[in-house]
Amino acid sequence: MRRLFKMPPQLFRIFLLAVGIVGAYSVARYFLTPPSFGEYGWYRGAALAELATRDQVYAGKKACEECHSDEYQKLLKHEHKGLACESCHGPGEAHSNDPRKDNIDRSSFAACVRCHEANPSRPKWHKQIVIKNHYSGKCTDCHVPHSPSEVP
Amino acid sequence: MTNELTNIVQVVMPHFEGYVYPNEATQQPLWGILIVLYPYITGLVAGAFIMASLVRVFNVKALEPVYRLSMLTAFAFLLCAPLPLLFHLGHPERCFEVMMTPHLTSPMAIFGFVYAWYLMAVLLLELWFDYRRDFVGWSESTSGFKGILYRLFTVGVTDVSEPAVQLDHKIGHILSVVGIPSAFLLHGYVGFIFGSVKANPWWGNALMPIIFIMSAMVSGIALCVFNYMVLSWIRRKTVDMKCLDVMGMYLFYALVMDTAIEGLDWIHRIYSAEEGFRVIQYMARVKLFYTLSLGQVAFGTLVPLILLGVLQLVRRRVPELQRRRMYFSSAMLILVGVLAMRWNVVIGGQLFSKSLRGIMSYKMEFAGLEGWFMGVVLLCLPFVILTVFVKLFLSEHDQR
Amino acid sequence: MNKPVSRRSLLGKIGAAVAGVLAAPAAKAAKAVVQRVLVTAEAPKGYDPTQHKWVMAIDANRCIGCGFCAEACKKENHVPEGPYFRTWVERYIITKPKPGSSAARGETLVDCPNGGINGYPEAPVPKEDIQHSFFVPKLCNLCQHSPCTQVCPVGATFDAPDGAVLIDPTYCIGCGFCIQACPYGCRFLSPVTKTAEKCTLCYHRITRGLKPACVEVCPTQARIFGDLKHPVPDDPIQQFYQNNLVEALKPHLGTEPRVFYAGIDKEVR
Repeated sequence: MRRLFKMPPQLFRIFLLAVGIVGAYSVARYFLTPPSFGEYGWYRGAALAELATRDQVYAGKKACEECHSDEYQKLLKHEHKGLACESCHGPGEAHSNDPRKDNIDRSSFAACVRCHEANPSRPKWHKQIVIKNHYSGKCTDCHVPHSPSEVP
Repeated sequence: MTNELTNIVQVVMPHFEGYVYPNEATQQPLWGILIVLYPYITGLVAGAFIMASLVRVFNVKALEPVYRLSMLTAFAFLLCAPLPLLFHLGHPERCFEVMMTPHLTSPMAIFGFVYAWYLMAVLLLELWFDYRRDFVGWSESTSGFKGILYRLFTVGVTDVSEPAVQLDHKIGHILSVVGIPSAFLLHGYVGFIFGSVKANPWWGNALMPIIFIMSAMVSGIALCVFNYMVLSWIRRKTVDMKCLDVMGMYLFYALVMDTAIEGLDWIHRIYSAEEGFRVIQYMARVKLFYTLSLGQVAFGTLVPLILLGVLQLVRRRVPELQRRRMYFSSAMLILVGVLAMRWNVVIGGQLFSKSLRGIMSYKMEFAGLEGWFMGVVLLCLPFVILTVFVKLFLSEHDQR
Repeated sequence: MNKPVSRRSLLGKIGAAVAGVLAAPAAKAAKAVVQRVLVTAEAPKGYDPTQHKWVMAIDANRCIGCGFCAEACKKENHVPEGPYFRTWVERYIITKPKPGSSAARGETLVDCPNGGINGYPEAPVPKEDIQHSFFVPKLCNLCQHSPCTQVCPVGATFDAPDGAVLIDPTYCIGCGFCIQACPYGCRFLSPVTKTAEKCTLCYHRITRGLKPACVEVCPTQARIFGDLKHPVPDDPIQQFYQNNLVEALKPHLGTEPRVFYAGIDKEVR
């Protein structure tokens, strides 16, 4: 056994130090690698779950149908059937969890203008008007947003 | 009326022209002065070490007077190298993750290991084997705090017999040989970090690691020239002209190689004129005029090339004082020029949009982590550390 | 290394080995304590990422540049105010060539005011000068060989098994390498969390059977979303692939994006 340690003392000490450093690194790595690491790939598998459990802000169209099925069905029969309620009315999760008048946007004609203001970059099939030539009052004077081809 | 209705906010971003992706329209580029300084500092380390290894590996006896100073320079600068990285991270407290779960497809992931290897297995070990005999001697002759320090550094080994010292030299030689590729890896991987980004046409090409290594060598040798002359001036010692002449020669040839490779990069870009060439040309000509055309090329490369080239041709005819002045000014210009080169690479790559249609501006702030002040502090800190090392380890009587 | 020490040293070595064996469960317990600090959430049941393959497609023929998508994304994902966008809409205006210039086209103007979240103002050139103009929604291209996940030094950003490219915000160190590596400019460094952020395909919505917020509010179905592993009847994604010739962005970089664009021009990068 003594033969093994025939290394010159300076080399032996350095060798011990090196073993100590590598050992300390291995111990640190054992403790500090997160538990789910490597579950699906080179990342923390638990991150998928954490990202999936965040809260929503938008409720989704189907959530509106529960209480507002009349408007919902009317919408589906007319030209705006491709729109989501929240396109014009804004995020609805807060309202869906606690239905009140003040936590949902009743919308204004700003939303109409956003889509229907004439713009040469918009595709030709999209209905667009030059608003200042079209009418100077409110859009709802002549149009019903949920059923645009109807007259109020 | 339309504006009221639509509530459109005209957001004007004054600091870019053309079209930049919305995420690129930030006030400051993502990688600022801190990421400019990191390759600069590691480049100085690698270059200073190569300078020292010229003595150990290639037996250039003329450079003996500057061997220990080069090693201590490399050590002082290496200690400061992680600082800009740490300060730049969004979460420096998580920095240990790089060593715990290093993602092996990322060049950045090898930083922890290459740095640890280079610091401990190359620099510290080589320094220790070189200084061991002196540590044993000093630990016996000095008292007080310094004496304790020296005794600590001997690691308890007190054998300074002839065979032991011979063994030290042999091991030092092996470490120097191992150290050369390690130094290339330490700085080359930084070049590869940029060279591997195919998304950025200013960065992503195969020459980038080589350009970084070559300019690192140039800057490291220039730093050794600078340090040697300053130290001699402070200690009122005469400079060993033979040593200085040989350093100047290596500096010249390294600079020639560096210029050739960087020139090749430029020629290739201009000749092949790929998709991003127009926006890059505008960026380099207009936005980087002072740092590229003046700082890096004219003053950082051409003037030192001329000065050093003249000295290679007519060295004997130039009196000593003039030669010293020419070496010193060349070294200073090169040091500034290589810093400008790092700036041009790092900042230049962020001054144009990946849409290849837009240009951004960058006004550095004074305060803050990415400001002027921090840059100056980080550049001065290695010199402060070097001063401490010189006081401890480079005695006046032994300028070996 | 003297002789009398040898028996003592041998016993010492055996003792050390026994202690090592006994220490293993103690080390495991200690590790559990340390790592409880690192873990934040428990895994929810029910969603298996290996059973889905989400994909998005863009039909630029249908985009009207209203910006509802970019606005919804900002709100849904609490994206910070300022030049930080997980998704945005670009406008391309290709002008007519100058008369007598014998050029095929005039110049190309691209703009994106505030990511498009407030819609678009009037065009900067008069209508008569415009040869083509269209909108292109942009987002993470869900690359098959993502350069962004390749360069992450710690494994904080990754390709999830279900096709989304995600960032682990508790693990990201904020080095910014992924942001530099993305050729499409879809990543940014959040000034709030100091980590990288990007489009997650609204991972918290799609894992609950909802659509991403941008797809939800798009009035013209210019953004199409689906699951390639479980197509539904009349799946819009399958129809999109059936009915359209498509392009991918920056194909020469070899990232193999999975987001395809219909109706864009060669000027779109």
